[in-house]
Order: sequence, then C-alpha cells, then structure tokens
Amino acid sequence: MKPHFTGLLAGVAALAASSTFMLPAFAQEQPLVIARNLEINSLDPHRAFCDTCQIYLSATYQGLVKLGPDEKSVVPALATEWTANENQTQFTFKLAPDAVFSDGSPVEAKDVKWTFERLKNVKGDPSFMMAGVQSIETPDDKTVVINMESPNSEFMGILAAPYVGIINSDVAMENGASAGEDAATADQAETWFLANSAGSGPYVLQTYRPDDELRFVRNENFWQDAPPIGEIVIDQVADAVSQAQMLQSGQADIAMQVDPDTASTINSPDIVIETVPSYNFIYVVFSPGAEANQVPLDLEVRQALAYAIDYQGIIDFTVGGEGKMQASPIPNGFPGTEGLPMPEENLEKAKELLASKGLDKGFSIDATVASMNVYGVDLALLMQKVQQDLSRINVTVNIQPVASAVWREQIVKPGIPFSARFYAPDYYGSAQYVQFFGMIPDSWWERNAGGQGKVDVVNQREVELLEKALSSSGEAMEQAYHEIALEMIKDRIIVPVVSPNLVLAYRNDIEGVRYSACCNLPLAEISRK
Amino acid sequence: MSEVAGRRHQISLPQWATLPVVVGGFIVLAWIIIGLTVPLWAPYDPTMLAGRRFVPPGAEHWLGTDALGRDVFTRTLYGVRHSLPIAAAVIASAVVIGCTLGAIAGFVGGIVDEAIMRLVDVTLSFPAILLAMAVTAALGPGLANAAIAMIIVWWPIYARLMRAQVLAVREREHVEAAIASGATPSRVLFKHILPLCWSPIIVNATMDFGQVILLAASLSFIGLGAVPPTPEWGQMISDGALHFYRWWIAAGPGIAILTIVLGFNFLGDGLRDYLDPRSP
Amino acid sequence: MLGYIARRLIAMPFLLLGVITVAFLLTHFTTADPLTSIIGERQMNNPAVVAAARERWGLDRSLPEQYVVYLKNLLSGDFGTSFRTRQPVAQDLLVRLPATLELVIAAMIIGTLFGIALGVIAARFQNRAPDNLARLVALFGSSIPVFWLGLVVLFIFSVQLGWLPGPGRIDSRMPAPPFVTGFYTIDTLLDGNWAAFRSVLAQMILPACVLGWTVTGIVSRMVRASMLDVLSQEYILAARAKGAGELRILLHHALRNAMLPTLTILGFSFAYLITGAILTETIFTWPGIGSYAVAAARGLDHPAIIGVTIVGGMAFLISNLVTDITYALVDPRVKIGGRAAQ
Repeated sequence: MKPHFTGLLAGVAALAASSTFMLPAFAQEQPLVIARNLEINSLDPHRAFCDTCQIYLSATYQGLVKLGPDEKSVVPALATEWTANENQTQFTFKLAPDAVFSDGSPVEAKDVKWTFERLKNVKGDPSFMMAGVQSIETPDDKTVVINMESPNSEFMGILAAPYVGIINSDVAMENGASAGEDAATADQAETWFLANSAGSGPYVLQTYRPDDELRFVRNENFWQDAPPIGEIVIDQVADAVSQAQMLQSGQADIAMQVDPDTASTINSPDIVIETVPSYNFIYVVFSPGAEANQVPLDLEVRQALAYAIDYQGIIDFTVGGEGKMQASPIPNGFPGTEGLPMPEENLEKAKELLASKGLDKGFSIDATVASMNVYGVDLALLMQKVQQDLSRINVTVNIQPVASAVWREQIVKPGIPFSARFYAPDYYGSAQYVQFFGMIPDSWWERNAGGQGKVDVVNQREVELLEKALSSSGEAMEQAYHEIALEMIKDRIIVPVVSPNLVLAYRNDIEGVRYSACCNLPLAEISRK
Repeated sequence: MSEVAGRRHQISLPQWATLPVVVGGFIVLAWIIIGLTVPLWAPYDPTMLAGRRFVPPGAEHWLGTDALGRDVFTRTLYGVRHSLPIAAAVIASAVVIGCTLGAIAGFVGGIVDEAIMRLVDVTLSFPAILLAMAVTAALGPGLANAAIAMIIVWWPIYARLMRAQVLAVREREHVEAAIASGATPSRVLFKHILPLCWSPIIVNATMDFGQVILLAASLSFIGLGAVPPTPEWGQMISDGALHFYRWWIAAGPGIAILTIVLGFNFLGDGLRDYLDPRSP
Repeated sequence: MLGYIARRLIAMPFLLLGVITVAFLLTHFTTADPLTSIIGERQMNNPAVVAAARERWGLDRSLPEQYVVYLKNLLSGDFGTSFRTRQPVAQDLLVRLPATLELVIAAMIIGTLFGIALGVIAARFQNRAPDNLARLVALFGSSIPVFWLGLVVLFIFSVQLGWLPGPGRIDSRMPAPPFVTGFYTIDTLLDGNWAAFRSVLAQMILPACVLGWTVTGIVSRMVRASMLDVLSQEYILAARAKGAGELRILLHHALRNAMLPTLTILGFSFAYLITGAILTETIFTWPGIGSYAVAAARGLDHPAIIGVTIVGGMAFLISNLVTDITYALVDPRVKIGGRAAQ
C-alpha cells in the first residue's frame, strides 16, 4: 500500500505545480459575467415574460422603435421614420434599408407582419400587446402599415417593449414556428428558441442551460455599431448574498439583485454601488370576491385595513429606507402621477371604520402569498410585517406562503382574500397599468378581485377615462390618467406599499451600466474601461 | 460494553445508566422541560416585534434579533414546542401502523404477508426526503401535511422490523407450547409473541426521533413544511440563509437541532448497547 | 445464494412499476391545477388557451388514461415536458445526472476515506480517548442538519476567509468543457484544460466535504466494529508474537480483512448520499438532480416531480440491491429476506 501512496502523492503534486504555470487562455477577452436569479419561463420572444427575458430579448432582438435615453420618448431602431394618421388608428413605418438579421438576410416588412401576427395568435403572456391591432399591410419590402380597431396613443410605446422585437420569419418557420390564427396549438418552435435566437440585435444566443446560465456572443452580422463586449454570461445565482460575494471575489462583474441590506455589507473599493429609483413596485391587494373571505371586504373594511398599514415602516423594514411610497398602481413618474396623494397610516380612522361595520372586535383574514424575493423584498416577510401592523386593529392575518405557480392558480380560483405581488413596466406608458390594475371589465385584477364576476367591483368612470386617454395626447392625456389614478386609489383594491430603489452593483472596471424602464439592463451599452 | 460499565461504576448504578444514556437522556429531558415551561419564563414573545431588526447578539438579546425584529433566542426555545410533538406524533403513528401491519404479516403469512411486504418494499424504494417532498407538494405546505408525509415514509421500517421479530419469536419453544395447548391465535400473538419484540423497536424509535426532527426541519427549509410566523427550526434556518451575514439568525436553530438530535442519538446508542451489544 | 439474487432481480421491474405508479398517483392528488405554470397567469382567463394547453399536455383525459399514456411514453424514454424549463424532463435529468453523480462520488470518496481513518483509530485505541472522540465525530456527523452545516461552512469560507467558490460546477467565466462523460473532472482533463480542471475541483471541494461528512459516521462505525472483530482473531495474535510492527498489523492484516464487511456499508451510504445531495445541491447551487427536485416540488412541476421520484427510486433500488447482495455474499449467515437496519 505504501509505495502506491507516495506515487499518487507525487503525481498530484506535479499536477498542481504544472497548472500554476498555465496561463488561462481566455485572459485576453473575458466574458462579462452577470449574477442574477434567472427565473426564465421561456426564451421564445412571444412566450417569454420575465425580467431576465427582458434583458435577453432586448439584446438579441430589435423592435421597430426603442426607448430613448430620456426613458420616455421612442427613437428609431429598425424603423427609420414613421407617421400616424390623425386619430391614431393607422401607423406607417419605413424600415432601415441596411438592417439585416444575424444570419445576414435583410429585415423586411413581411418579417414585421409575421412577427406581430404570431405575437397575437400564439396567445402567450405578452400577446395582449397586440390587442386592438386590426390588420397589417406590407405595400413594399420596407414599408409596414398597421391599422388599429380604435385609437391607441400608447401604441408607439408598446412597440418599444422587448416582447415586440422582430423575428427572422424564414428561419423561425423552418424550425416549426407559425403565425396563423391557430398558432396557439400549431406553433412548435418554443424548444428551438431555447437554443437559438433569430433576431437582428447586437447579440445572439450561444447556450442556455436552465438553472445554470444564459450565454450570448456578439452578432458578427450586426448592421449597426458592434457592441464593446464580445461575450456575456448571465449566471444563475439565487440569492443576494451570493451575488454580492461573487462580485467581491471578482467572479462576477455585475450583481443584479443585491438588496440595500446586503449592499451595505459590501466594502470593497473595487465595487461601485448605485441606487436609482425604479418603476417597479410591490403592492398588496384585496379580493372581495375570494371564496375564503370570512368577512365581506366592503370598501370601508378595505379602507380601514389600508389605514392600518405602516407604510414608512414597511419601506424601512423591507428595503432599509431605499424606496418610495407610491400613490396608485401607476408608478411614480409615469403620465398622470404628478401630485397624487400618498397612502396614509391612520390607526384612529382605521378603528372608526371598523367600528362602523361592527368589526371593532376584529376578524381573521387569509393571506396567501408567493414565496419569492423580488426587487430585494421577500414577499412572505413583507406579509409578516403587515400581519404585525394589522394586529393593532385586532385583525389576524393567516399567512400561507406558496410557490409562485400555486399562487397564480389560486388567485384566479378560488381567489385570495389578501395578498401581495409585484409589477414591472413593459414599456413607458400608463395604459398598461389601467388595463391590468384598473377595475374595468375583464382586466386581470377586475376578474380576480371580483372572484370572476361574483362581486361587482367595476368602476365605470375608469372605462370612460381610459377611452379618453387613449385618444388624446399631451396635457389632455396626462389629465385623463391623473383622474384614473384617483379613481384607482378610491377603489382600494390595489394598495401599493413600496417602490424599491434599484441597487446597481458592479465592478469599477466596467461602465455603461444603467437601469432602463423597458429592458432592465441594456447590454449593448456596457464596456470595459 | 456492559462489562466496562459494571467495572467502572462501583456504586450501585443500574446497568443501563451508561454515559451515553445519561447524557442523552439529560439533553432530551432538558428540551422537554423547556418546551413545556418556556411560555412562563421566556424573555420575549416569539412572533411579535422585540426590538430593532438585525441586532447582533448581546445583553438584551442573547442571540440577537431577526429580519422582523423578533428575539432569536426566544424563537429558538419555542421551536421545540413544534418539533418534538410533531416528531412524537409521526413516530407514534408510524410505530402503530407499521408494527400492526408487520405483526399481521409475520404472524398470518401467506398472501397477506406478500401484499404487505410488497407495499413496504415499494415505499422503501424511495429516498425518504424525495417521497416526503412529493407528498407534501401534493398536499400543500404546512406542518400537518409534512407530518402525514413523514408517517407515510416511516411506517415501512417498523413493519419490516416487527415482522422480522415476529418471525423469529414465533419459532420459540414457549410459543409452540402455547399453540399446542390450544391458545387462540390472538392470545398467542399478544401474550406470547409481542412482548418479546419490543427492544429493537424501542431502540429504533429513539434513534428515529432525531431523524424525524431532521427531516421535518429539511422539509421546512425547502419551504414545504411550517408556515410563518411559526418558529420552526428549519424555517428559521431558511430565513437565516436569506440574511447570511447575520449569522446569529441561523445559529440558534441550528445548534438547537444539533443538540436535540445528538441527545436522541446518544440515548438510542446507549440503549442499543444495553439491549443488543453485538451490533456495531 | 443464486436463488436469492435471482429472486431480487426478478422483483426489480415490479418494484419499479410500483415506484412509477406511486409517483404518478402522488402528483395527481394535488391541491393546485398545474396548468397555470404552463400558460401564465394572464392566459388562465382565456378559455381557448386553457383548452389548447390541456389538450397538448394531456390533462383533459381521465386518470387511468393519463396513466396509460404516461407508461407508454416512459417506455419510449419520454418523461413528459417540464412545466418550468419547457424542455423534456428526460433531457433535464440526463443533463443534471452527471453533476449529481460526480458530487456524490466525490463525497463518497472523501467520506469513506475519513470514515476508514476514524474507524482505524477508534479500533486501535478502543475505549480510550481517541475512540470516544471518533465516536463523537461520527455521532455529530449524523446529528447535524446537512443544510445547516453547508451554511456554516459557506459562512466560514466566505465571511472569515473571504473566499467563496460561487455557485455552479466551474468558474463562471469559463465555458463548460466539451461533453464526453458529463463529469467535468474527466471532461476537462480530456480537453487538456488544466485551468478548467483546477476550477472544477475548487468548486467541488466544499459541497463534497459537507456531503461526505454525513456518511463518515456510519463508515467509521462499521470499520471499527469489523476491525475489532478481526483484531481479536488468532492470526493477529500470532503476527504480534512474531514481532510484526503495530502499523503493519493494523493496515496490512486487520484493515484488509475488515474491508470486506465495510463494502456492504458502501451501498447503504450511497443511498444516504442521494438523500443528502438534495439539500446540499440547494445550498451550493449545484445544478444537479437534487436542486432540480427542490425547484420542481416548490413549483408544482408535475412531470419533473414524477421524473425525479422515479430516477431517485431507481437509484435507491439499485443501490439497495447491491448492498443486500454484497451483504449476503459476505456474510452467508445473514437470514435471506431480512436486511441491515435502515
């Protein structure tokens, strides 16, 4: 036994010694490593719907337009110019003559038409963005005309969203994609998209390993200026602490989900930490139509509960003060949000309102919440803080944390009396919030909060105001959204609790890192110093 | 082992009171007493705010406070009020179900035996935690469902054990004598066979207490067991992992689990040495 | 003997069917509709989409029909498509299996080596301080929650030493080695990439040690017991009388003969390691079957849950079979039909 052992020992020592003399071959052009929790639901541009998906899609695909540096206006991308008719029902675009896809083939009007039709017909999560599109015409290879059913002043904004990037239709169709009316069942390309991208953006997908990494490389055929970084890896790192650690040890260049608490523990001079306000927010929501309601969640009860929440405390508690209060489901800074009244903590009023309903002895309410950590806020932990707050007016909150998939099922049926959730914008425009959060017939939250029609929560004013907003622009539009926001506050179904500031944490040898309302992190702007 | 014990303890200590048994028993007893009495003397309430968030261990909070400002020391102590009863319930149920089925299988034999043993085999084909995860995923989170899952995972072991014991004892002379003298089958089973079967069951059950507590904590850690704000140890460690740099949040429950499982392991080890000194 | 082995082998497919049936039944008695994780919350309100998805995933048929469909698919290697990753479960498992195997084997090697060392020391100094210490270490190993141990180790190495290997099997800047076996250690060597090989080893050390310690205890106890058995034999006394050195007796004579019974424990510890791997992989973000299982259970990803349970069950069955056969081969006195205590 002994002789063999020494031989083994010598061998290992030799190996270790030799490897120290080996220079890593990749020293010249190191890939950029981004640490984040992937949570990717799909890489198919018309089925993907997640934050990482936004980053990926905006790097590999391009839309007709994109969000300008001011984060509000749209600027040319694949389309060089566009016009709209008087009442915002027809939009005409001219495509850039030299735009090509990653395989070298030119971007043509037929690709735009095919892409938009597939987006609508495949009935995935982002399909609602094509709502209201009546028909698409392609008078020539480089001109696209889009006809809307009714006026939609937001349409240009929608076109800047990462989910509306143009796909190389020939390549996609060769691999099973279909854009026809029956695309929801006929399309077979989702698996292909997990390994390939077919866009015109600065990067192309190299490999995707679920729960491990997303890797992309520079598009050699990119028709505009090449992006500075040649290869980017998004590494699956689930929690903020590990992300911060990787950043400090040099294994990651950017950590995307560091929360303010963890950020305060980073003390390396090589790391830059920036905190910027974001448009993301966390809200709590009451569903009067949920089956498990032990007490009818009337307006007065909802108001009472809303008064009992310690909003400033929640901001301090969840994000260490790095966040802002938000008045309505429309984020601070979006059209219509100027001058809205912030939510208020008022225990007296809360008790009065409950007493007026005979509930001053208190009651119990079930709260099911997805156990996930978003924007630095752990939803289950947030709920526990709310639980403590509400116990001051004798309301007992029974918390049930569940997996996100379970939450998405239960919120529809049987409904959840009290819950918390998050939202991030898809583009810059307020209509998306009214269409999702407003109590207008068939909006997502109208359906769920009302228990699929069991309780009538519709606010007719919002319906009228939305029509007005969509067909006007400028001041008139802002005014309309302002009034909608006031109505949504009055509804007291959705109560925003915090808009967390985003922590950008990255090594100081890279620059160009910024947060963007549409895409989270525009990759093509990042470079090494 | 018993020879050594007899030599060392010249005072008249009972033979089973070896060091492991005494230490283990002391630990377990201490935890039981804590579990029963802590509401009377705990410094804080386990679910309500006790101070600022993330206060490191100090004079006011021996193990600091967690993300919600709750006292970690209090929560750690309260944790035993959830872990022990669950473990007891799971083991009691598993023993009752398993031993019943095992005794029937061993005694009756034939196709009943085959059927029960096949069920045992299939259940034992799964790694415990995987089966528990699958069952809890089916039933939903909560300590009660996790308990059901663990009972389903644990009963086959006792069935096997009991059956083996029954088979062995059945061959013994006094049993054959009883059968020859015309005793009814149930009388033979209950009066002659069963009383001799218990020692491996007891040893196993004692050791299993620790394993059940570990499994329950693992399930809660994954998110399939206790729901907040229950101060359950696995849950608390999961919270602690979120706030990694605040090491005290996970330290308390971790040490608690370690000590109580060690206690049960010592106890079971010592009991096994006493009851069956030949096994490793 | 042969009869025993033959009987166990014949029983295998039936047990496997039982495993599959149990797994299938379990995931259908759930409290939530799996559909939501496929089509997304917004589309749950759209009846056309719901119907299309139900048809595509076969969720509209009756339970017995679904079972038959599932069995048929299994026989052709189709485990269904994961709701979460949108890829075939079989592919997901195949990709992750080498990761788990590599970790488990490394843990087994580390844990067994330490276990043997501890067992030898314990036997040599029976009932004295080293023996009790070894016994204590062994007990600690089986009393500590492995996920907590992982956290403690991570804490020591990240906060105290400032060195965290980071998640994953290889440094994030390096691409994975070209696929030959799926074992990164082997593949990086075959690729001739020393830097990658070193990175892979560095990434694996902590999780393997944490996982390995869970079996150090049982291995050391087994080695101690069989060593004590052997050391009391006559030929050992003879060797001592002849003047052989203590170390030689210990390692050359005693350990060699004690190894055979220890082999029986290896199969058992393999099963133990599979269990521990589930939690260890989650702590260390090791992209293996264990973390996949946890993600599947949390997200109610039914095809994945069934797939993992079947694979786990199969692995367990095989390792138990190997354990029992080696045990029977080694110790013919063992009652056929009984089994080493769980």
